[in-house]
Amino acid sequence: MSSNSIPIRPIDHAECRTCGAGAPVDEHFCPNCSRILALGRHGDYFSFLGLPRRLHIDPHELERNFRELSRKFHPDYYYNATPAERLASLERSSYLNDAYRTLRNLAARVEHLLAIEGLPPAKSEEKGAKVPPALLEEVFALNEELDEIREARESGADPERLQARLAAARTPIDRKRDQHEATLQELSARWDAEADNALADQKRRTLEALRTVLLERNYINNLIAAIEREAAGIVKHES
Amino acid sequence: MSKVVGIDLGTTNSLVAYVGPNGPEVLRDGSGDALVPSVVSISDDGTMFVGREAQRQLLTAPGRAVYSVKRFMGRGIDDVQDEAALLPFRVGGEPGGVVRIGIGDREFTPPEISAFVLRELKQRAEQFFQEQGEFDFEVDRAVITVPAYFNDAQRTATRDAGRLAGLEVLRIISEPTAASLAYGLDKKNRGTIAVYDLGGGTFDISILKVEDGVFEVLATSGDTHLGGDDFDNLLIQLVLRDLELSGHVPAPELVQAVRKAAIQAKLDLSEHEDAEIRVGPSTALPAGYRRHISRAEFEALISPLVERTMAPVRQALADAGLLPKDIDEAVLVGGSTRIPLVRRTVAGLFGRAPHSDLNPDEVVALGAAVQADILVSGRREMLLLDVTPLSLGIETMGGVVSKIILRNSTIPASGREMFTTGVDNQTAVDVHVLQGERELAQDCRSLAQFKLRGIPPMPAGLPRIEVRFQIDANGILSVAARELRTGIEQTIEVKPSYGLTDQEVERMLIESFEHATADFEARLLIDARNEAESVVTATEKHLRRHDFAEIEQDLLPGELQRVDEALQMLKDAIAGTDREAIQQRTHALYHATQHLAEVTMNRSIREALAGKNVKDV
Repeated sequence: MSSNSIPIRPIDHAECRTCGAGAPVDEHFCPNCSRILALGRHGDYFSFLGLPRRLHIDPHELERNFRELSRKFHPDYYYNATPAERLASLERSSYLNDAYRTLRNLAARVEHLLAIEGLPPAKSEEKGAKVPPALLEEVFALNEELDEIREARESGADPERLQARLAAARTPIDRKRDQHEATLQELSARWDAEADNALADQKRRTLEALRTVLLERNYINNLIAAIEREAAGIVKHES
Repeated sequence: MSKVVGIDLGTTNSLVAYVGPNGPEVLRDGSGDALVPSVVSISDDGTMFVGREAQRQLLTAPGRAVYSVKRFMGRGIDDVQDEAALLPFRVGGEPGGVVRIGIGDREFTPPEISAFVLRELKQRAEQFFQEQGEFDFEVDRAVITVPAYFNDAQRTATRDAGRLAGLEVLRIISEPTAASLAYGLDKKNRGTIAVYDLGGGTFDISILKVEDGVFEVLATSGDTHLGGDDFDNLLIQLVLRDLELSGHVPAPELVQAVRKAAIQAKLDLSEHEDAEIRVGPSTALPAGYRRHISRAEFEALISPLVERTMAPVRQALADAGLLPKDIDEAVLVGGSTRIPLVRRTVAGLFGRAPHSDLNPDEVVALGAAVQADILVSGRREMLLLDVTPLSLGIETMGGVVSKIILRNSTIPASGREMFTTGVDNQTAVDVHVLQGERELAQDCRSLAQFKLRGIPPMPAGLPRIEVRFQIDANGILSVAARELRTGIEQTIEVKPSYGLTDQEVERMLIESFEHATADFEARLLIDARNEAESVVTATEKHLRRHDFAEIEQDLLPGELQRVDEALQMLKDAIAGTDREAIQQRTHALYHATQHLAEVTMNRSIREALAGKNVKDV
């Protein structure tokens, strides 16, 4: 561990630290002196990785761009460089790795798109988030069933039967999850088709639909986690 | 420019390598040995020994020799209590603090002991470059490897050790990743590799994707508390039980003798179906001890431990989103992978014979050398993209961990978290940083306590303190903080949980200079002993020749007796610490055997000319 401070540059300072020339936001290297630029301002993960703002991504193109940029930024290649360049290399690599990790996964990609298009996030930070309206029935039924299973477990019911009940309770939830995946794919395709042509509010509606699906999807994942915890509890009780 | 090297600082053995004109190679000593046992001893008179010599001291003065120190790096006494019981040296320290190892009346921390080993490797490298005729033969920069699963404290301890040894540590890299670099050289590889690395004290599994010269780690897992040492301990316990000695603490010399015999048997069982654990007679054991052990029995004994390696493998595959059949190549690293059961298990899991074309003991050092070369040469053909093995988080209200950087994130990686104050005019905030996957702080590994000072006084809840976490390419964390309303940068006080503060490292550096002279003398003594031993070996080889009876006829009267006397005198000297005596008697023996050597040589030449094979005689 080290206590070296990572110096902060104010975000509006968009100059090359090496030669002082002005630097456009989405450039990685100074157009004037070709040294690596500090990560002061930056656009978004898509533009950073040289990709259009589309939800369908060719995984090979993504990987290729990632490898190419890694070769340009990685600290291993800046061992003999100036401290300013080394810092810039560290910052850009970190951002690049974040970008790659996010864009590699559809749900994360959608989250990022929502963020850069100005919508609120679908990941809710607070516990006890509101149940998405479309899921009310399922959530209610599942919570009831989980409560009963818990009580039964505590009064010493047969573990195998309990697991069977859990599996049965899980089936509609899994089905919902599959539905979400399909809807996500559909909406993603719609966004890509609309990206250049459609009007702003049309695109906005697509984004909001995407957000709704994501909210539900995240909620479902929490439910599944709860089911799995219960299943683990039953196993522990046995042993 | 001074030379750079790659160093494998292992639990059992260490190596140093460099990239020469013919590619990477390990550096060997006079007898061609690449391995330096990671053992350090200090005799009564303060002379320090490192390597083979120290290993010998384990048998005669076990309380003064230290081994497997890697298992203590970046750890506290509570973590290592169990293993400490089986060790002949004193292990202590305060709870929550760094481990302290006692030798005689001196105390050392694990980084200091490791630094002695590193210094030995540094000197070996410098000697090599000097002999090569290099003008600038100093070695002060190195890449040092660590297990992929080493946490921040363990990595920092390794870097501290490098610093104490006078080395600028260019990079800390993971052992499996280093191994893959060494393998990647001669094959233009493209595909998915699983590196199974089982060494003396640690186990790592890394899944990598190799494409276009980029080695990208997809996932890594392991057990920093599992290795060949544990197999040895099972055998040792077996023997001690046999001797009905467990339950009361046997003499350390005996335990060490049993350990040496057990290790030999383990090595034999990799080559043969049967072996014998053989302990010679001693005061503690007048009759000595012999026990037959079959490979089957050994495998039954170690099989639960080998099975324990499967869980991290499955975890890593799951994290990478792959099945065993998706793996194109499996690579074995580490001495313990020579064990047939280990090989079978890995082959069985991946459905293919694993690679071990490169020497599993040397491959990590070779990879480290390659990485060192990349750093200083600026060549961009190969690139390592490693990951952080453990999630990084901070402790929040209620003792829960809030994760900031997830495990298997490619490094460098960064994350941020916002803080505020709970009390009016509060000027400092404490942040407890941990590593691990569990939900509660008490179940994770404490890395350090950070105190953020210099917060401008404001009503409670108003300050917006942004804390930035940066994991660098070494996998080591640094932290910075800024209060956003005022733009004021916080000063950060770091209190590492199981490590040394910067001041402590400084103090140790100063102390090490004071001990430098004593250590230099020790070095000369070792060199004298080594030379003496090679002359002894050569002489005994002559004397043991099957045709010696005939050679004897060509010798002068009394010559053989003189040789025997000189031989015995030299052996006596080697057992002592008088360097001059050793050197004198080495020359005496050399001189006494000159004629014998001539006679033997002439004989061989005559036979060769007569077309006869010496063996046929």
